[in-house]
Amino acid sequence: MASGHAEHPGNPALVTAEDVTKDLLGKHEGTSNNFWRVASVFGILLILGIIGFVMRLSDGVSDTAVWGYYAAMFAFILTTAQSAPMVAIAPRIAKAHWRRPISRVAELWTVVGLFNLLLFIPMLWILPPLSDGRRSLWFYFDGGDVPSYSPHIWSTLAILGLVVIGVALLWMSALPDFAMVRDHAPDGWKKRWATRLARGWIGSSAQWNMQKHRLGILGAFYFMMLIFVHFLISVDFLITLVPGWVDSLFPITHAANGLQAGVATVLLTIWALYKFGGYKDYIAFDQIWALGKLLFALSLLWFWFWFSSFNIFWYGGKPEEQAIIELLMSGPYRWAFFGVFFFNFLFPMWTMMWNPLRRSTWGPPIIAASVLIGTFLDRIRLYVSAYSIDGIGNPAINKHVVVEIPETIYPSLADIFIMLGALGGMVFIFLMATRLIPIVNIWEQRELKLYEIHKTFHRTVVKVLGKPD
Amino acid sequence: MFAKRSVIGLYTDEEAAASALDALREAGYDQGEYEVLTGTPYPEGTFGEEEPKHTLYRWPLIGAACGFIVGLVLTSGTQLAYPLVTGGKPVLSIPPMTIIMYEGTMLGAIIFTVIGILIESRLPRLFMGAYDERITEGYIGVTVTTSEERVGTAEEVLNASGAEEVKRGWENN
Repeated sequence: MASGHAEHPGNPALVTAEDVTKDLLGKHEGTSNNFWRVASVFGILLILGIIGFVMRLSDGVSDTAVWGYYAAMFAFILTTAQSAPMVAIAPRIAKAHWRRPISRVAELWTVVGLFNLLLFIPMLWILPPLSDGRRSLWFYFDGGDVPSYSPHIWSTLAILGLVVIGVALLWMSALPDFAMVRDHAPDGWKKRWATRLARGWIGSSAQWNMQKHRLGILGAFYFMMLIFVHFLISVDFLITLVPGWVDSLFPITHAANGLQAGVATVLLTIWALYKFGGYKDYIAFDQIWALGKLLFALSLLWFWFWFSSFNIFWYGGKPEEQAIIELLMSGPYRWAFFGVFFFNFLFPMWTMMWNPLRRSTWGPPIIAASVLIGTFLDRIRLYVSAYSIDGIGNPAINKHVVVEIPETIYPSLADIFIMLGALGGMVFIFLMATRLIPIVNIWEQRELKLYEIHKTFHRTVVKVLGKPD
Repeated sequence: MFAKRSVIGLYTDEEAAASALDALREAGYDQGEYEVLTGTPYPEGTFGEEEPKHTLYRWPLIGAACGFIVGLVLTSGTQLAYPLVTGGKPVLSIPPMTIIMYEGTMLGAIIFTVIGILIESRLPRLFMGAYDERITEGYIGVTVTTSEERVGTAEEVLNASGAEEVKRGWENN
C-alpha cells in the first residue's frame, strides 16, 4: 500500500494555518457593496417595524387581541435566532470537526437575543397580572398581598440570564479571533474594538485551557437556560392565556421546535455564506449534509411531540379539549395548522428521505426554508389565537374552558410592519455583528490544521482527521 | 509583580519550543516563570508543559448552591408565610417550587461563572509581559517572567535552544 502525505485536494492557497488566518482576516476586513445593499434592505425593514410598533402602541396594551402578531414575532425569534447557538454547542461538546466553520455563525445569533430582549419589554405590559383568576403555575390568591406578577418577574430573569450567557459564550469563543484582529488588522474602528474586546489575550497555555473549559460550561448553561426559557414563555405567555389548555407536553414541543428551527436558521445562513459570502473553501458539503440530517431527525421529533399531545385531546374529548383542538387546529387557524404540518413535517420528511436531495448542497437549504416558514406559521397559529381569546385579564370570564372560539385575526398594516421589522431586525443585527466579529471561527480553523492530513490510499486521496483527548 | 522582567523567544518549530522549555527547566526556572504562547490551541502537553490548574468549576458550583438556597428559601418562605391548605395536602408544594429553585440555581451559576471567568482568566491582564504580534500569525512564543538578575540567563537559554528572535518585554511593550 502506498503511504505518505498526499497533495492537498482543496484550495492550494489554504494549506497552512497561516494561510487560513490571512485569508479569513482578509475576508473579515473587506465588505462588499452587495453586503451593504442587503444590510440596507433589512435596515429599512427594521425601520418599518419600529413604525408598526408605534402604530400598535397608539392603540394601548389593554386589548391583547391586537398584540397577537407581536407576541408571535417575539416567540419566532426565540425559536429561531436564540435557539441557533445550539448548533455550535452540541457538536463542540461532541468534538465533531465538521462544526468548525459554522460554529461562529451559530454563536453570532446570540447577539439577536439582545434585540429580542427589547421586544420582550412590551410583552410584560401586555400580559395581565394573575389577579384575572387564570390558572397558572404560580403561587397566588386573591385578597392577600402576594405579588400577582410572578410570570413577569421570573420570565424576565430567565430571558436576561439566557441573553447574558449567550453574549458571554460568543465573547469567550471570539477572544482569540479578537486578538488576531488586534494584532493584524489595519488601524481603524475594527482594530480599536478588537483591542478592547481581546483584553489581555496572549494565547498562553493557561488561557487556551481555560477557554476550552469555559466554552463547555457556558454552552451547557446556555442549553439548560434555553429549554427553561421555552418552558416559561410557552406556559406563561401562551398556555395559561387559553382557558382549559392543560398540556404538560407542550413546553417541550415548543423547545423541540426551537431546536428544529435553530438548525434551519444556521443551515440557511451557512448556505448564504457558501453561495454569496465567498466562504466555499470552508463551508461545503460536509456542513450542509450534517445539518440536513439533524434537521431530518428533528422534523420527525416535531411530529412525535405534536401527535402525543393531539392524542390526549382527541381521545379525552372533554368540552375544553375539543375547544383547544378547534382553536389551534381545526378552527379559525386551520390554514396555518395545515401549513405547519406540511412545512415542518411532511415536506422535510418526504424530501429528506430522497438520497440525491439529502446529499446535495441545495436540498437541505430548501428544507430549512420550509421549516422556517412552518415555524413562522406555527407561532402565528399559537400566539395570535391565544391572544385573541375573549376575557384575558378579566376576572369575570370563565377560566376553565374557551366558551366561544374567536374569529380569525388577520394582520393589520401595523402587524405587517411589525412582522417585517422583526424579521428585518434579526437579520440586520446579525449582519452588523459580522462586521465586528469574524463570521468563520479563525482559531478553530487553525486548530483543524493540526489534526488534518491528506493521505494517499490506494488510488485515491483521503483526509485523515485526529481528535484531541 | 511589576519589578519582574519578561522576555520572549519566538520559534517556528514546535520541537524547538519544547526543547526551550526543557532547557529552562534544566536551568532552574520554575513552572510559574515560563509559559508557551500560541495562536492555536495545541493539545495539552505538546511542549512538555504541565497541565494548567484552574478553579473555574468552583465558581458555577458556588453560584448554583447560592441560587438554589435563595430559590428554596423564597418558595418555602412564601408558602409558610401564607399557608393555604388545599384538599388536605401539605402546605409546601414541591413541584412548583422546583421551577423557582431551578431558575435560581441557573441564574446563580451564570452570574458566578461570568464573574469567575473575569477573575480566573486575569482579563484584563495587569502585567502583559513580553508579547509579539507574530504569535497570532503562527509563531510559538516562550516567555520567561522572572527577576531582573535571572533574565539574562533566560535570554541565553532561549537563544541557545533555537529561538528565531528573543525580545525583551519591557523594551517592546
